[in-house]
Amino acid sequence: MTSLVDRYVFTALRRIPEQQRADIDRELRASIDDAVDARVDSGEPFDTAVENTLLELGDPDKLADNYANRPNFLIGPELYGVWRRFMLMLFTTVLPIVVVVNVVVAIFGEDPQVGDIIGGAIGTVLTVGAHLAFWTTLTFAVIERTGLGKADLRGGAWSLKDLPKYEPRAISLGQMVTYVVWPVILIAVIVVQQFTFTDTPVLDPAGWSLWWPVLIALIALKALWAVWLYRQGAWTRAIIVANAVLAVVTGAYLVWLLASDRFFNPAFDWTTDNGTDLLSWITPAAIVVTIIGTLWDVAEVTIRGERARRGLPTKVAGTGNTYKFG
Amino acid sequence: MTTDATLASHLQELRRGTVVVASLIALRTPGYGYSLLETLSEAGFDVEANTLYPLLRRLESQGLLVSEWNTDEARPRKFYRTTDQGNAVAETLSGEWSRIDRAINDLSFTHPGSDK
Repeated sequence: MTSLVDRYVFTALRRIPEQQRADIDRELRASIDDAVDARVDSGEPFDTAVENTLLELGDPDKLADNYANRPNFLIGPELYGVWRRFMLMLFTTVLPIVVVVNVVVAIFGEDPQVGDIIGGAIGTVLTVGAHLAFWTTLTFAVIERTGLGKADLRGGAWSLKDLPKYEPRAISLGQMVTYVVWPVILIAVIVVQQFTFTDTPVLDPAGWSLWWPVLIALIALKALWAVWLYRQGAWTRAIIVANAVLAVVTGAYLVWLLASDRFFNPAFDWTTDNGTDLLSWITPAAIVVTIIGTLWDVAEVTIRGERARRGLPTKVAGTGNTYKFG
Repeated sequence: MTTDATLASHLQELRRGTVVVASLIALRTPGYGYSLLETLSEAGFDVEANTLYPLLRRLESQGLLVSEWNTDEARPRKFYRTTDQGNAVAETLSGEWSRIDRAINDLSFTHPGSDK
């Protein structure tokens, strides 16, 4: 029968690297025997002395961890922050994109069923989410243990340059990109609709000789305006006035095109199934939308720009506070 | 967290590292695991066997201690002794300890607590 001491030592050694086992075995037994002897000398019966000695040494698995000096964590404090940011990005950006793409593909696929699409979306969230979490964590755990590329992941030492700029006077890079992307999409749609979407183009093809290039140039100017604002780094009266002028010119040009029937393609089939002529009310509607949109653009940019320009308190994104700058 | 648990965690934080200094100083006279445990607890160090024994091996792997098996007696024992490098580390660490002690005293002197 194995003794209590044997069972204790074996249990501890199980989790110790092989090459250290013999030495630790010998040393641990000697230490236990010494402690037991000391307890017996002070009057304890032998069995009680053994039990108390082992109880004092505590959980053999923990003792083994102490001997092996291995980390008892998966990802240490050094990498935890990077891991957390990475996971957050994956789950708030990558996962939604994957799910949306899957849903869109399913909708345009053959015989789409609402139930199947919802079920598929849930399945995608679970499967892709589990894969993202598992492989990311595994990679970080391997890096934690091998130390490979740890320094690169942490990035360089923190410096004052890493502090975000909270000044609301200029637009952020993200806002600039948004300002640029919309005109680009709009231009792309104007060009592409000539060839696809419908058999006959919606916009009047006659305009390609002059009207559409002018419109495209005006829209492109809006994108350039955003780049200018970003590069300038601060709202100035010139920037605000330039936007207003550009918006009014573009709006007026669009209204003129619409009102003079140069905008929509008359060759397009505008009659609905019950015989209504869509063109007769789409044109005034488009004129109203253009005017409202233009006024909105001018008002929004002017108010925002003037507030920032005069240094009035402005909400700072991410802090929930208003600060007065300048 | 209760006050007791808070105190315990702060005490543990404060004591961490003192066992290293104490062991390096005590092992200027060679000793084995259990004897060192006795020496340290007699000297007033609250140290447990399951942290001390692995610590000795760690200090040995860092070159601060050397070990040798003594098989002259009936029970073979592994004797540890502080190396020159270990001595230098012990000097630096205990110097730092004294400096912190002085600094705490100075601070308590200039910022006395209330006597109530």
